[in-house]
Formats: sequence, C-alpha cells, structure tokens
Amino acid sequence: MSNGIAIETRGVHRSFSSRKGFLFNEVVATEALRGVDLQVPAGEIFGLLGPNGAGKTTLTKILATLLLPTSGQALVLGHNVATEALALRPKIGLVLGGERGLYNRISARENLRYFADLYGLPLARRTGRIDEVLARVGLSDAADRRVEEFSRGMKQKLHIARGILHEPRVLFLDEPTIGLDPKSARETRKLIRGLVAEGVTIFLTTHYMFEAEELCRQIAVLSKGRIVARDTVAGLRRLVGGDRTMELEAYGFEDAEIGRIKGMPGVSRLVAEEFGPRLRLTLRLRTNELLPDELLRQLPGHPELTIRERRTSLEDIYLDLVEEEAN
Amino acid sequence: MAPSEVSRGRTLLASVRLAVLQFLADPQWLVPSMIAPVVFGLVAYELFRGSGANFALYAVLGAGMMSMWGQTLYGSGWATGQDRELGTLEPTLSAPTPYLWVVMGRVVWNTVSGLIGGAIVYVVVVASYGRPLSVPNPVGFVLMFVFVIVTLAAVGIVFAAWYVYTRYAGFVQNVGEFAFYVGTGCMFPVILLPFWTNPVSLAFPPTLAVDALRYVSIPGYQGLSWGFWGDVAGALATTAVYLAVAGTVFHRVEKHVLETGNLSEW
Repeated sequence: MSNGIAIETRGVHRSFSSRKGFLFNEVVATEALRGVDLQVPAGEIFGLLGPNGAGKTTLTKILATLLLPTSGQALVLGHNVATEALALRPKIGLVLGGERGLYNRISARENLRYFADLYGLPLARRTGRIDEVLARVGLSDAADRRVEEFSRGMKQKLHIARGILHEPRVLFLDEPTIGLDPKSARETRKLIRGLVAEGVTIFLTTHYMFEAEELCRQIAVLSKGRIVARDTVAGLRRLVGGDRTMELEAYGFEDAEIGRIKGMPGVSRLVAEEFGPRLRLTLRLRTNELLPDELLRQLPGHPELTIRERRTSLEDIYLDLVEEEAN
Repeated sequence: MAPSEVSRGRTLLASVRLAVLQFLADPQWLVPSMIAPVVFGLVAYELFRGSGANFALYAVLGAGMMSMWGQTLYGSGWATGQDRELGTLEPTLSAPTPYLWVVMGRVVWNTVSGLIGGAIVYVVVVASYGRPLSVPNPVGFVLMFVFVIVTLAAVGIVFAAWYVYTRYAGFVQNVGEFAFYVGTGCMFPVILLPFWTNPVSLAFPPTLAVDALRYVSIPGYQGLSWGFWGDVAGALATTAVYLAVAGTVFHRVEKHVLETGNLSEW
C-alpha cells in the first residue's frame, strides 16, 4: 500500500450462492462484485454510490472484515482484510445502521460500555469517552433510556456513536443518514466533516446525491458489481458530458427536431423522457455556446415550450452512468 | 486514544455483565430460571414419591438437572441465536476479540442462573417432602454438582458455535432438546433406557457426570457398570474433547460465516 492511501482494492470479486426450490433445489450463484479496483486517499470522505443491489454493502462489509472476498485483495491501512482482520479491527469502525444491531432492552450507555470493553478501550477513559460520543451524536439526555424506546433516528445516532467510540482511523458508513430527520441528518453530516478534520478517513455509501456532493471529495459509482466511474464531482461532470444541463419540455418533438438539437454546438448528451402528455429532453452541455434563445429559434412550432437551465447535478451524473451501464 | 490489546478476561467479564443486564431487563427469563424449576420440582416429587427412601434426592437431582440443562446449555446457545435475531452478531464479530470469549461469558452467567434454578428445585422438593435432605457425602456432592455444570457448559459452547454457523440451529435444538435431556440421564438414570441408546448417551459428557453425581448422592445407587471413578474419567475425557472441538469449531465457524456472509440472516 502506497503512502497516503487508506483503502486499496485490487480485483475484488465476491459471489454468493443461494438455493432455489424445495426438494430438488439447485444452487444459484450471484456475482455481487466483479473485479473492484479502488484507491481511497487517507483523511478524505470517499463516496460510493450505486443502485440497490449494486454491491455497496458487500464491498463495505469486505473492507470492514465481515465478509471475505471470493478472489482479489483488499487492504485497509496496509492490513489485508482477509488475513489480518484481528489487527485491523481496532483501527476501523463500521456503521451499518437500521433498526437492528443494538441490544434493545438495555440502555444506550450500557450498549456502548459493552462495545467499549470488546474494543479494549482503556478503563480510565471508558466512562469519559462514552459521555463524549453520546454528546457528540446528541444522545446525552437519552443515555440511560432503554434502546427499545428509541426512535429510528435515535438508533441511527447510537449506531454512529458505537462506530466512533474507539476512535477509528477509518470509518465505514453505510447510509448513515437514512431515517434521520433533516435537522439530525445535517448534524450527522457536520459530525462526519468534524471527523475528517480530525484525520479520520470516511468511506460513505449513500443514496442521497446531495449528501455525497456536499461531503465527498471523490466519488465512485458502482453498478452491477463494477466501478463504472471514479472521480471528483467536477471530473464526473466532465465524464458525462458537461457542467450545464438544459431541460426542454413540450407536447412532443419531431424526430428531425431531436436530431437537430443533438447536432447543436456543445450538446454532448440528450435524453428523452415522457412526463404525462409532455416530452422532456435533457441536454448535457459541454460549453456555454448554446443559449436558450437559440433553441427557441430552432424550435419555432412549439409555443408551449419551456426551457430550464441548471448546473449538472450529481444525480444527473449518477443516472447517466447507471443507465449507460444498464444499456 | 488507541484501544489497548483486548484481554480475554475483559471480554469475558463484559459478556457476563451484558448477560446479567439482559436477564434482569427481560421478563421472559423469569420462566426458565424461576418458574420452571418450581414446576420441575413438583413434577419430580410426584414422579419419585413412591420409589423408596431416596425419592426426594432423585427428585432434586432429576428436576435440578432439568433446570440446569435449560439454563446452562440451552441458554448459552440461544443467546447467540438472539444475537442473530437482534442483528448484534455482526458488530460483535467485527470487534477485535474472539467470539468464543463472548460465549464463555454467557456460559458463566447461565451456569450461575442454572445453579439458582437448582437451588429453587431443592427448596420446592424439601418443602414438599417436609424435612431437609441428607446427603451422605456433601463435599463430593458439591464437587460433582459443579462438575456436571462444567460438562453442560462444554456442550453449551459447542451449541453456541452452531448458532453462529446457521440460523437454523434453534430449530434443530428445539427438536432435539428433550431427546438429549432424556438421553443424558438427567431425569432418570440412563441404565433404565434401552441398550441401543447408550452409545448416543455416552457421547454427551453430562451423561457420565450426572451418573457420578448420583453415585455420591444416593446410598446404594447402582449406575453404569464402570462405577464412580469410571464415570469421572469418562466425563473428563469427553468434556476435554468437547472443549477442544469448541475451540477449533469456533475458529472455523468464524471463518465460514465470513465466507458465506450469513451473519445478518435471521
């Protein structure tokens, strides 16, 4: 592992087998990861995006030593996740989130104390550190309440508290803001930024594009078990064809009109989608040459035409990449 | 603050503490630990009341073993099953400590609660009998009683590995529980069972340990043909095998679940 790289994977494959049928069942193999190569710089937030079933959680669990790769190699902080798991585990944290994964009948504080012991937190610091992380995730007032009384958002916060309890150098966050109200989600993002400022490397999977755009320096898009793109948000914008996006909506366009728009200067990509009776053309624009007035001139037969211009969002990029991979 | 190296002792204590907290917080544990022993005691008293002068001892041993069986063996395996159900198996296994020591902690607590169950049975039977029981060799009785618990715990640890291995462990254990219970001679001596069942019975360390316990508790007891010391030697040997198997099995099971990725299945 080279300097400054916290996570590195080389050709990681992972397949699962399941059984189909009852008496004469057959084994069905599913390839969840198909040769994943990644490098995550230390001290950054790295975002992993992908549709459901793309392999995000599988990759996260492999990196967090909870799953072995079928083939390939994964190194975290220089440790091979398959052969040096016990040495690596004190240095990493994992937040899988959700309703499960906590001892519901005991308090949040007792949950943390148990895991503090399993992680070998120095006894002299244990109580102070538990108070510290509870305060950090905003659960101080609920520290001594049973977890079964917690809302989903509070449980999510407790998952995060447990993940950072032992001060890991790399933190894996699998959809950390899912189920949180907007205020709590914002506080969680602030917490994530704070951890990075302290030197923690964050590996984040999320479905919220704005969250990835706001937090991540580098983003990888995983689709059907393969990394289809990896870059900064600006780099991904260039990859999918431009910074500017223009949306044209009308009650249908002629094929010839669509062909004319495609050939206009600066248009790198055109996607047509139906919205009820209207058709929307989404254009990715590589340059600033094409202006709405020019489009209006080119499409004279559409008095109802609406044109909206905006910056290409990460969601646009993501959808372009995933759609391309699907095709 | 880098975590210090995790000691096995600390893991074990943390696991005991968690087991106690969950026991106190969950009313369902009252049934196997407090109510069931009373029922077992009363049933055993009725079963053995016509079987001679030592019937009360038979009753205490039979019902006491039944109570301890549930708590020590079944409880240890089930606690791991509960980890699966709660989804806490993944975070626990992602900690830098071997899961075997977490299970050991649970076994320690389940053993203590099994003893409490045994004590309740004693009180129930003595109260029904109307006078205190006399044991000819109290020191031997206590030693053998603890020995039985150790043998039950050894089986419990192997069962716990099974729960880590598959989510179907509970189903199989529920089906086999009473067969194991009868087969190991907890309620009545295995000598009363058909001969063909003996090899199966002897594969479980508690069988011989329970027989040894009866030898030191009941005057004139005629158990398995190799006598008290043969029981002790056999139970020690099979317990050692179980503990060795548990250590190896846990290591392999941990590797297996990382290969199959079934930790979060319930």
